[in-house]
Amino acid sequence: MGWEGFLLVVLLLIICVNSFNSLAFLTVENQVNLFVLSVEKIIIALIMTFIILNAEIDLSVASMMGLAACALGWMVESGTSTSTAIGLCLIIGLVGGAFNAYWITIVKLPSLVVTLAMLIGFRGLGRVLIEDRSIRVFPPWFENLGQQPILGPLPLSILIFLVLLVIAVVILQYTGFGRYVYVIGISQEVATYSGVRVARVKTILFMVSGLISALAGILFSARLGSVRGDMGLGFELDIITMVLLGGVSIFGGAGSIYGVILSILIVLYLRNGMSLSNVTGHIQTGVIGVILILSAMIPNIKSWLESIFDKKYAP
Amino acid sequence: MVKYLSQVRPEKQRELVLLLLILLVVIFFAMMIPNYLNARLFNRVSTSVAIMAVLAIGQTLVVLTRNIDLSVGSIVGFTAYFVGQQLSHNNEIEPMVAVLMAIGVGALMGGFNGILVAYCRVPAIIVTLGTMALFRTLLVEYSDAQTVLTVNLPQWLLDFPRLNVLSHGRLHLRFVVVIMLAVVVLFQLFLRFSSFGRKLYAIGSNPEAANNAGFPTQRIVLISFLLCGALAGLTGFLFLARFGNITVVAGIGFELKSVAAVVVGGVNIFGGSGSILGATLGAILIDLLENSLIRWLQISEFWRDALLGLLILTSVATDSIFMKRIRLYWAKRHAPSTS
Amino acid sequence: MDSGSAVLDVQNLSKRFDMTQALEDVSVDLKAGEIHALVGENGAGKSTLIKILTGIQQADQGEVLLQGKPVKISNAQEAQSYGIAAIFQEPMVFPDLDVAENIFISHRDRGFFVRWKKIYQDAETILEDLGIQLDVRSPASGLTLAAQQAVEIAKAISLNVKVLIMDEPTASLSSHEVSQLFSVARRLRDEGVAVLFISHRLEEVFEIADRITVFRDGHKISTNPVSEVTRESLIQEMVGREVSKFYKSHEKTVQGKRIGSIKNLTKQPIFSEINFDLHEGEILGFAGLVGSRRTDVGLAIFGVTPADSGSIEIEGKTELIHSPQEAQKLGIAYMTEDRRKLGLAMPMSITENITLASLKKYLGLLGIVESPREEQTAGEFKERLDIKTPSLTHEVGKLSGGNQQKVMFSKWLNTQPKIFILDEPTRGIDVGAKAEVHQMIRELAKQGIAILCISSDLPEVLVLSDRILVMREGRQMGILEGASANQESVMALAMGQ
Repeated sequence: MGWEGFLLVVLLLIICVNSFNSLAFLTVENQVNLFVLSVEKIIIALIMTFIILNAEIDLSVASMMGLAACALGWMVESGTSTSTAIGLCLIIGLVGGAFNAYWITIVKLPSLVVTLAMLIGFRGLGRVLIEDRSIRVFPPWFENLGQQPILGPLPLSILIFLVLLVIAVVILQYTGFGRYVYVIGISQEVATYSGVRVARVKTILFMVSGLISALAGILFSARLGSVRGDMGLGFELDIITMVLLGGVSIFGGAGSIYGVILSILIVLYLRNGMSLSNVTGHIQTGVIGVILILSAMIPNIKSWLESIFDKKYAP
Repeated sequence: MVKYLSQVRPEKQRELVLLLLILLVVIFFAMMIPNYLNARLFNRVSTSVAIMAVLAIGQTLVVLTRNIDLSVGSIVGFTAYFVGQQLSHNNEIEPMVAVLMAIGVGALMGGFNGILVAYCRVPAIIVTLGTMALFRTLLVEYSDAQTVLTVNLPQWLLDFPRLNVLSHGRLHLRFVVVIMLAVVVLFQLFLRFSSFGRKLYAIGSNPEAANNAGFPTQRIVLISFLLCGALAGLTGFLFLARFGNITVVAGIGFELKSVAAVVVGGVNIFGGSGSILGATLGAILIDLLENSLIRWLQISEFWRDALLGLLILTSVATDSIFMKRIRLYWAKRHAPSTS
Repeated sequence: MDSGSAVLDVQNLSKRFDMTQALEDVSVDLKAGEIHALVGENGAGKSTLIKILTGIQQADQGEVLLQGKPVKISNAQEAQSYGIAAIFQEPMVFPDLDVAENIFISHRDRGFFVRWKKIYQDAETILEDLGIQLDVRSPASGLTLAAQQAVEIAKAISLNVKVLIMDEPTASLSSHEVSQLFSVARRLRDEGVAVLFISHRLEEVFEIADRITVFRDGHKISTNPVSEVTRESLIQEMVGREVSKFYKSHEKTVQGKRIGSIKNLTKQPIFSEINFDLHEGEILGFAGLVGSRRTDVGLAIFGVTPADSGSIEIEGKTELIHSPQEAQKLGIAYMTEDRRKLGLAMPMSITENITLASLKKYLGLLGIVESPREEQTAGEFKERLDIKTPSLTHEVGKLSGGNQQKVMFSKWLNTQPKIFILDEPTRGIDVGAKAEVHQMIRELAKQGIAILCISSDLPEVLVLSDRILVMREGRQMGILEGASANQESVMALAMGQ
C-alpha cells in the first residue's frame, strides 16, 4: 500500500491547496470541466498502463489520435456521414495498432523504436490527408457530443471514461488476461515457457491502444469542433507521466491501476490548480516534465527508503 | 564477392550500403527530375545536412551507450534563441564567443540529462522525455514569447551560411559544411582511437561486464550526454545562422530526425555498435530524400513524415534480420579450430 | 617463481550475511603452479570466498595474504591489480567488440590512444601461447561459450594473473571443449599461476586437480593432495554423513502401453533424426554430454523452438508442434532447467505461479480468476510436495532453491500432463534433497505419466531410467535398456565410440 498511500496524501494536499487558492475549484462545474478537458489523455492512460506493465511502450498514441481526427475530418468533408466516419476511424485505430503489433511481435523490433517511428509516421499520414488546413465541417449533434450532460452533469465523454475505467480495473486486477500482462512484464521468457500466448497478448494490447487513441481523437474533434494536423501534439508526456507516477515501473511487471487512478487525479488537479492560478500552459508542461522524471525515480526511492527501514529495524 | 564481404566488418558494410543507396537515390531522381543534378542541389543539400548531421553525431554518442536523448530538439531551440538574443542585444560579441556560448549552454543542458541518467538511474527515455518538455518551457519563459528577429542580428552571422571555403564555378563548399566535416572526422577518430571512445562502445555492448571490469560507467555516460548537448548547442548556432528568425517552436521534431538518422545509419539502438560515419551517411540519405521528394512533384511534402516513419522501421528491421545473418556467417568463418 | 610457495593465503576468514554464517574461520592456501580444486555443496561458502577474493564482498574477520603480505581487496579493480582474476560460468565479454579489444579493454595503463596494430599483435601472441586459435579481429558475439571463456582467460593472462579462479567453468562445455580448457589450465599452472578450480563434477576434479579442498556449511573440512582422496571420501566430507548407497538402486517398473512416438525429428543444424517411443509410466532418460542438444529436443517437443520436420504423435494425433499451447493441448509439460530465468515469476506469489500454466481452468465469468479454487489447488500441492513456506501468498523469489523447485513441479503437475519432460530436475539441489526429487519422479511414473528426464548426472540417469536415449552433438546414438546399462556403456555412446 506504500506508494498508493503516499499518492493519496499528495492528492489530498493538492485538493486542499487548490480549494484554498480558488473557491471555484470544488464546484461541480469546475470538476466536470477539468475532466472533460483532459478526457482524451486519461482514456489513453488506461491502456498505457497495460502496455507499460507489459514491459512495452507506445509512443505513437498521440499521433494516432491526430491521424484519426484528420481522417474523420477528411471523410466528413468528402461527404461521408459522420457516424460512418466515426466507425471507420475506429477501424483505422485498430489497423494502426495491428501495424505496430506486427513489427513488435513478428519482426521482433523493440516497441520503443517501432512506436517512435509511428509517432512520426501516423502524424505524417494525418498531414497527407488534410495538409495544413483546419477542417470545420461537423454537424451540431457531433459537436455537442462531448459537452452535453447526459447522466446528471456528466457528458458522454466522461461516461465513456468511467466505463473504460471499470473495464480496465476488472481486466487487470481480476482476470487471467490481466495476470498474463503482469507475467509477461516480469519476464517474457517465463511467460513463454509457461505456455502463455505472448504474441497474442501484445497484439491485443497494441490494437486496443490504437483503438482508444482513435477514440480519443474523435472525442477531441467533437470537443473542439474542428480538426487540425497537429492535434494532440505532445500528449504522450502527460499520459506516460500519469502511468509512471501511479507507481507502474517503466521496466514492467510492477504497479497497479489503483495507483494510476490516483495519479490521474493528481495530474489533472495539479494542472487545474495551476490554470486557476493563471500559470501558463507552458509552465504547466514543464512541471509535468519534472514530475515525470521524479516518478521514474520511484523504484529507486522505494528501495532507498526500504534500506533505511531495514537498517533501523533489523534485529 | 562473398570472400570480400566476409573480411569487412559489419559496420563498414552498412556504410557501404548507405553510400550505394545515396548513389541510387541521386541517379533515380536525376532521371525523374529535369535539371536535378546541378550545383544548386549540392549547395542546398550540403548546407541543410550540416545541421542534422552534427545533431545526429551527438545522438550517436548517447545511443552507443544504450541510451537516447529526446531533448536535443529543445536544446537546439533554446541555444539558438539564447545566442540569438544575446547577439541581438550586443552585436559586438565575437563570433568565436557566440559559438562557445552555444556549445556551453548546450553542454550544461546535456549535463543535466547526464546526471539524471547516470547517477540517479532514471531511464534515458524518461529523463529526456521530461527535459524535452522542461527545456521547451524554459525557452518559452525566457523568450517571453518574443521572436528573435533577423534585423537585430549582426551581419557576420547572417552572412555565415553563405560563407565559402572553396568555390568551383557555382559549386560552393560552404564553411558550415567544413564545420560538419571537421566534427565528423574529429568524432570518428575519437571513437576509434581513444580508450574513452572504446569504453563507450563497451558500455553499450554489455553494461554488466563494463561495471564488473571497473569502468567509470557513470562518468562516461555523463560525458556522452554532455557532448551530445554540446553538439546540440553547436547545431543551435548553425540553425540560428541559417534561419535568423527564431521562435519558440524552433527545433521541434529535431530529436526524431536525429534518431532516424542514427538508426538508418546503422547504429544499433541498443548500443555497442555503429559508427559516426554511418550516422552521417544516414543523415545525408534522409535529407537527400526529403529535398528530392519535395521537388518531385508527384509527391507532396506532406508525405515526408509518413515515409520517414516507414524508413526508420525498414532500416531497423533490415538491421535486425540481415546484420544478424551477416554477423553469424562472419563469425562462422572465423570460428576456432575444432578437431 | 618457486613452484610450491604459497601465493595466496586465506587465514581465518569469516563472513556473515544477515542470519547466515557464510564462512566461518576458513583458512586455505594456494601455491604457485598448482591447480587447487574447491568442492562442496551449494551454500558451502565457495562463492562467498570467490566474492571476497575478487573484491565484490569484504570479509568480517580474517586476512588475505598475497605472497606473504596482507592485502585489502576493496573492489574489482584492486583485485585486478593484485593479479587475481576470475572466470565464471557465463563469460562477460563485449559482443560487439573484437576479440583482441575484449582482451585489452580493461587495461588501465594503455594510455589515451588505442594502438590497433599492437593490440592485434599482442592478442595473437597471447592466444598462441595458450594454444588457442581464434581470429582476433572477429567480434566476440560470434564465438561459442568455450571460446568466450578462452578470451576471458587471455584477458587474465594479459593482466599478469597470479591467481586464476575458475568457477564452474565446464558446466556448459562439450567434452572436447573441456579438454581444451584443461590443457590451457595446465599450461597456466606450468607457468606458475595458481589456479583455483571450483566444480560440482567430481570426475573432472580428479582429472585436473593437484590438491582438493572440501567446504561444508561455511567451514573448511579438509585439504589433501588428489592422490590421497577417493570419490566416496570426498562425498562423505561434503555431505557430512555416511552416504552408504548414494542413490537407491534402480527399481524396474512395468512398461505401460505406448502413448506416443517421435519420428525423425529434425531441426537443422541443431539436431537431426530423433526417434523414440513413449510409454505410460516409463521413465526415459536422456543422457549425453553437454552440447548434445538434449534440451533443444525437449524444447522442440514442447513447442518453444519448434522442429523443422519429422512427426510427433501423441495418442493417435500426429502433427509437428508449433507452440507451447499446442503441446499443452496434447498433454505435454516441460520443466526448465533454469528456474530463475525461465521457470518461475519470482515477484509473484506461490499460488499465482502454481496456476500459471493451467490458468484457463480457473477462469470463470468474463475471464475472471476464481481465487478460492486457485488457493485450494495451491494448498493441496503445498501438502503433497511439502513446500515449506509461511503462506501461499509469499513471493516465490524469497523461497529456498529446493522449495522453488517444488513450486515449479507443482505448476506443471497441475496441468495434468500425460508426458512430462524434466530438464535437469536436480540441478543446484543438495545431495540430500535429490533423493526426495527422485522419489517424486518415481511416483509420477507410477501414476502413468510418461517421463522424459534430461540429466547430465549420469548416476542419476542410471538409477531412474527404464530406458536411456543417448545423444551426442545433436544426433541420436542409441537407446539402452535401463536395467543393463552402466556408466561405461552410456559414456561410450555419449562420446561417439
